[in-house]
Amino acid sequence: MSTTSAPLIDALRRVAGLLPASSGAGARPMRRPGKAASDAHLADAPGTLAAPPPLLRWLERASFGATPALLAELTALGADDASRWQAWIDQQLAPAAIDDSAVEARLAPAVFPTLYKSLEQLWADHHENAPDYAVRMRPVSECEHAKLTRAVYSRRQLFEVAVDFWHDHFSTFGWDYDGATVFPHYDRDVIRAHALGNFRQMLGAVTRATTMMYFLDLSANRRDGPNENFARELIELHTLGVENYAGVLRPDDPSLPVGMGNDGIGVRLKYVDEDVYSATRALTGWTLRNGHWQFPGENDGTFVFRPGWHDNYSKWFLNRFIQSYKGEIDGELALDTLAAHPGTATHVCRKLCRRFVGDEPPASLVASAAAVFGATWEAPDQLRQVLRHILLSAEFRAAWGEKVVRPFSAVARALRVLQADFTPTWDNDPAWTVSEELVSRIGSTGHRAFYWAAPNGYPDRREAWTSSGALAMTWKLMAQLTVLRISRADEAPRIADIAAQTLAALAPGQRSANAIVDYWTGRIYGFAPDPARRTVLVNFMRQNADAGANLAIDTNDWAGEGNLAAHYVQARLRHLVGLMLCAPEFHRR
Amino acid sequence: MSMNRRDFLKTSALATLATGAATRTRVGLAGPGAASDDVLLFVYLRGAMDGLSFVAPIAGELRVQYEQARSATRIPASGANAALPLANSGGLWGLHPRASGLHTLYQDGKLAIVHAVGMTQQPVTRSHFDAQAFMEYGLGGLSGSEGWLTRHLRTGGLPASIPIPSLCVGAITSTSLLASTETITMASGGAFRLDTGDWAWRASDVSGNTGFVDLLPALWQGASELERKGRQALDSLALIRPIDFNAYVPANGAVYDGGSLGSQMKMLATLIKREDLGLRIATVDYGGWDTHNGQGNPTQGWDYFGNLVEEFSGALTAFCTDLDGSHLGRVNIIVMSEFGRRVLENDAGGTDHGYGNIALVLGGAVNGGQTYGSFPGLATEQLFERADVGVTTDYRHILAEAVNRRLRNPHLPAVFPGYTDYAPLGIFQGTDLPPADYEMIFASGFEA
Repeated sequence: MSTTSAPLIDALRRVAGLLPASSGAGARPMRRPGKAASDAHLADAPGTLAAPPPLLRWLERASFGATPALLAELTALGADDASRWQAWIDQQLAPAAIDDSAVEARLAPAVFPTLYKSLEQLWADHHENAPDYAVRMRPVSECEHAKLTRAVYSRRQLFEVAVDFWHDHFSTFGWDYDGATVFPHYDRDVIRAHALGNFRQMLGAVTRATTMMYFLDLSANRRDGPNENFARELIELHTLGVENYAGVLRPDDPSLPVGMGNDGIGVRLKYVDEDVYSATRALTGWTLRNGHWQFPGENDGTFVFRPGWHDNYSKWFLNRFIQSYKGEIDGELALDTLAAHPGTATHVCRKLCRRFVGDEPPASLVASAAAVFGATWEAPDQLRQVLRHILLSAEFRAAWGEKVVRPFSAVARALRVLQADFTPTWDNDPAWTVSEELVSRIGSTGHRAFYWAAPNGYPDRREAWTSSGALAMTWKLMAQLTVLRISRADEAPRIADIAAQTLAALAPGQRSANAIVDYWTGRIYGFAPDPARRTVLVNFMRQNADAGANLAIDTNDWAGEGNLAAHYVQARLRHLVGLMLCAPEFHRR
Repeated sequence: MSMNRRDFLKTSALATLATGAATRTRVGLAGPGAASDDVLLFVYLRGAMDGLSFVAPIAGELRVQYEQARSATRIPASGANAALPLANSGGLWGLHPRASGLHTLYQDGKLAIVHAVGMTQQPVTRSHFDAQAFMEYGLGGLSGSEGWLTRHLRTGGLPASIPIPSLCVGAITSTSLLASTETITMASGGAFRLDTGDWAWRASDVSGNTGFVDLLPALWQGASELERKGRQALDSLALIRPIDFNAYVPANGAVYDGGSLGSQMKMLATLIKREDLGLRIATVDYGGWDTHNGQGNPTQGWDYFGNLVEEFSGALTAFCTDLDGSHLGRVNIIVMSEFGRRVLENDAGGTDHGYGNIALVLGGAVNGGQTYGSFPGLATEQLFERADVGVTTDYRHILAEAVNRRLRNPHLPAVFPGYTDYAPLGIFQGTDLPPADYEMIFASGFEA
């Protein structure tokens, strides 16, 4: 860890081309003198980053960012951290009881009309009578803006984090030409409706969802033309997981283990391709009222089971027999089998633990969570119980720093700690709006909401989000958040006016570099950063002034040669905050 | 503390790069490999591209079988929108009609096609995500902590003097380059710079100040994994910043069309032509091939697959045209997909997951204008599981040949552990080095 020593400053200036570089044969860019080409063998050293206090460590994994206000709320909930945390989790797991009128006001129907339309209304307004591409995409665009708005402003933070998880788990590409038109139905009635509910119920809703029907082609799955796309991902991604895939083998291969389902019925533990085809056949005839030429009068975008398209012959699925001529029940039995399968419990719980605890979560926690998942598989609040188990576990409390903050969360977190006041909104104007800029910049980090093209959802491991592309484009966005205004109008308010906030928080006479840095690290991190890093920040803020001397942060003028301390001070203050948002402390959770 | 790449960069690299004055210095590492200047570009068609539509049977028994299996997705063998016949294929094969640029490259000997390529380990997987990961780990169906290209970079004897040995085009590093410390991952060179926030104090300027951009590295000095990765990103930004991507003018009248692949290939051409940057390895993704539904065909207005083919063909053709006569002789492009699609199309006008697939190999050092590998046939009893095109060529034969003959890295057992039957098809010009074991001289003892 260095500080801004004079040699370092010189080196930095040289990098920037401000000082002459040495020349000659010795001054070549070197690729790897003394440096390994791969760091796969290097163990992490998380201890070199200071661990925050427990409540912060826990909050950063169960919310879109701790703020001083949220921390104060928690602190008031009990006498010690454990009881505060349990009280907060229990509050958060009953989101309907939490007043969220502030965020509801931001998502007013006048501004976000598609969020409130029924599936049939969406279909009529944005699918059937919408030749214009922008009108077709408006529903998913409003969902995207609503997602960011809720992440930043909702008091139901844990619920929003759970929704984010389930959107990744049942990922669909939001901008699908058909699926986009009814996306609020998927978000509201499928994912949000079941995010703390019952997995089997959510699975049924996902399978019938119009957006998913188009994304994975289930609407085209018929007796005389089976389409395996949905069934394969249903098993591989949504339930059993690829770790329970035995590959292209016969279903009676003696190597395949059998066991007991959580419904008390025997089941084969590993799946093979024949099971994909059986599930495909079980789900034939599950389709949409979408004006198909055989049923032109039925066209409202809703689910329908078409008995004439269903493969009525019997099936074997994971060693379970599905009788012939049972119709829609075939699909329900397949979903029951999957939802009660021990492989599903483990797969889903491992993913939940990966999200909330660490990239390689402790096997003990995965197993105990899977036991809860299995024992409650028919309970209406199964997922609430599983989440509670994970979040109150010793493994959760002990973990820290194994995760990085993904770019979308970094944006939400920054807007939260900056106390931004901005609601991104859709419009059909060709002008480049601030909302569009924000969405586009999130897109360049690789983490735009509902934009992952494959059905496996955004990666949830740090190696994905520590690539140079994701980190650099996130930093670029962080710096921009310190200056962005709520509209393109000249002198429109900034989404977060850092200078005004600092002036309001620090009385005249208390505006030294030390005080400014401590104020903002308190706001942004909630704990003192690495001391050497703090020195870098203080030195940047103070320049040639004393660290304890007052700075004129009420002006942003050029002070003349030789006095950098008075040189564009408000701009420097904004970049100071930008540096804090781009430092390791902000990216780890 | 010895000087590492970052320290060296701080004191010299940028100014050198900015003036474009660097001439390459070949500082050989220990070890027998004397790496060549060749570039290997791996293009991944994610989603399982339908090889039977890209290169379709146009004659004989194969054509009859193909037409029995394919109607909604059929590529015509004659008439309007017919497949473009491929020379030296026994009159049996034709290229998709919307790949006219690739067809010209084939006729010019710069494109070779390999039949029935895939992974040979058992059991076969039909999972996109498993298949992609297995292929990119290159460990014969296992997962690991490094991609196969990372292992090449580690063992390939590349000169120490090159600043950008490896580039992954995108926001997230591909598995083939997993754990590489030398890879820059970026989607757009022009956008890959920190140029936001207030103009004042953004970067160091004539006022003598040190701004946000130049101060950021001082915040990422620690030893944790996250900080290491952060330094890698900062190095990458510093290396890319001086390059003016907007000023680039393609050669030979090459035109990159507006699609994302075109602009990515243009970015790669920009970097490859800057020989002082030393680019050796690059990966690009081009997705959207999971055509279970409404794949389309070139005889009708709805031609989803053909639209992808046209953009792909146009971008690669522009790239090869741009580099022709100057750099194409040292540029090798391998195009693969995770597996092929089922021979029998489904009733939704699409195709489901299959097994064997074609691979494309392009470049100036390719023995092109011909097909390689044996096609196992389309009769039911010739198909894998009576459904899919089989696999007759282990995909590693193609990659290993490029690594050995072109990149001059003989350490195939290190690049592909467990791969013992190196059998080059002769797609690339050049001679083979005898495959050599690699002493893990870099395995430990280096600072991060």
